[in-house]
Amino acid sequence: MAVSDGISPPRRIGLTMPRRRLLTHAVIFLVLVGLWEIGSRAGWLDPLFYPRPSNILRSFWLIYVQNGNVWFHLYATLGLVFAGFVAGSILGVGLGALVGFQPLVRRFIKPYVIVLEATPRIAVAPLLIAALGFGAPSKIAIIMLVCFFAPFINTLSGVVNVSEDRLELFNSLGAGKMQVLRKLVLPEALPVIMAGERLALTAALSGALVAEFIQRDQGIGSLILIYTRNLNMASAFACIFTLTIIGFLIFRGMEWIDNRIAFWNTEAGMARVGTKRALAFRGAHG
Amino acid sequence: MDGTGDAQQMSNSVLGARSLGKTFANGSVVALEGATFDIRPGSFVSLVGPSGCGKSTLLRLIAGLIERTSGQVSVHGTDVSGPRTDVAMMFQKATLLDWRTAIENVLLPTEMARSVTKDDQKHAAELLKLVGLEEFLFAFPSQLSGGMQQRVALARLLQTGADVLLLDEPFGALDEFTRERLNVELMRIVGEVKATTLFVTHNIAEAIFLADQVFVMTPRPGRIAATIDVPFERPRPLSLQTSPEFNTLVAEVRDVLGDDH
Repeated sequence: MAVSDGISPPRRIGLTMPRRRLLTHAVIFLVLVGLWEIGSRAGWLDPLFYPRPSNILRSFWLIYVQNGNVWFHLYATLGLVFAGFVAGSILGVGLGALVGFQPLVRRFIKPYVIVLEATPRIAVAPLLIAALGFGAPSKIAIIMLVCFFAPFINTLSGVVNVSEDRLELFNSLGAGKMQVLRKLVLPEALPVIMAGERLALTAALSGALVAEFIQRDQGIGSLILIYTRNLNMASAFACIFTLTIIGFLIFRGMEWIDNRIAFWNTEAGMARVGTKRALAFRGAHG
Repeated sequence: MDGTGDAQQMSNSVLGARSLGKTFANGSVVALEGATFDIRPGSFVSLVGPSGCGKSTLLRLIAGLIERTSGQVSVHGTDVSGPRTDVAMMFQKATLLDWRTAIENVLLPTEMARSVTKDDQKHAAELLKLVGLEEFLFAFPSQLSGGMQQRVALARLLQTGADVLLLDEPFGALDEFTRERLNVELMRIVGEVKATTLFVTHNIAEAIFLADQVFVMTPRPGRIAATIDVPFERPRPLSLQTSPEFNTLVAEVRDVLGDDH
């Protein structure tokens, strides 16, 4: 069973770069943006589809400050993402664990997992709307659908692939079922489960956009749709860049949480927790 | 097999077996056949032999990790029917929990039985000192070398409080120098805690150097082919291994193992 990737070593962007590299990046970025601006002004780029950076900046000001209309849609989208992600990943982790602990179910589930894996989940979105109608429930259902799978499959494989050696150790110590679960299976599966959660949260954002593209009532997705229809590409770009920033914050936020939970996968995490436990021990033993 | 006499003797030995056997795959693979022995309290016994001779199977039968298909095995005069608290096992891999510090790993066996007290923590810290890791109580496994990880596993083995210790090639994955040093320390430590020790290895010299008694095992079917007493005084210096008496014993073991080895 394939484990979704996402467990690749934590990457650090920007903040830990040496100052000179950072400066070089800034210069390259400004040159690219400058070329875009000049190209647009000189008529090399069609300003209708490729608005000038200066216009995009002005749109940011417009939709965030002057009109302030983006906030409502931003909250709508983030609310959906949050609700769908929490519901979908609870369902995914829960079912994954349940299936993982049932040898009988486990044995027969593989074909269904393969079918599920091969089917683009988003294709089911129109059916969900047909079944649940327009509005929040069907949107949340779509997000749940797209972010269910990674936590499900990762939890399942995390639970199933518990180290044989450690299991034998626990058996030799006469461990009970609950002790094996709490002290071995869950901690060992945690990093894999977290990797699934990370993929799920990214998928949740895409799922929310698709749901909003279809329903066109509110949210950043429908806002992008409306601005594009009105040929207000600068504002559409401002919305897209807003999503870039959100995506980045989600990535960093999940990375931060991941480092807290699966601390033993990084030197810094082990140093932090090791020091804390040493202090607690010395506190207790004088 | 004469019932009463054997039963009497078994109840006096710390660890005994009568015609102990184990087959796999519905009897088509005989992993161990007719193992009969009594082990004196506090003695160190090595099991040596090539792969497939049943030495790991024998250890797992005593640990209660697998069920026997024939014969008897008992510890402290009671039948082995599953894992028990007076028997503990150490594996070739350290098998530590990556998310626990060294001392938390050592405390694992205690946690299985009851909630950990301050005294338990103190005891675990002392055991880590005994294995030479007093500086690394709060290090995580991945911060330790392979040899140090096995030291943690050894401390965890002792934390169980078991007086029958089963070691399945515990230092087999380590380099020659580390293994030799750990072997010497192992002899010192099990002597200190006065445990009865069964040590599996496929290294003849190592088996003799460590043990009071060597069980030489041969494969197809796995069985104990000979029991050889090792008379050397303790503590034993590493240079013992180059003495003529030592090499006579090596030759004796080799003789039992035949051309296969």
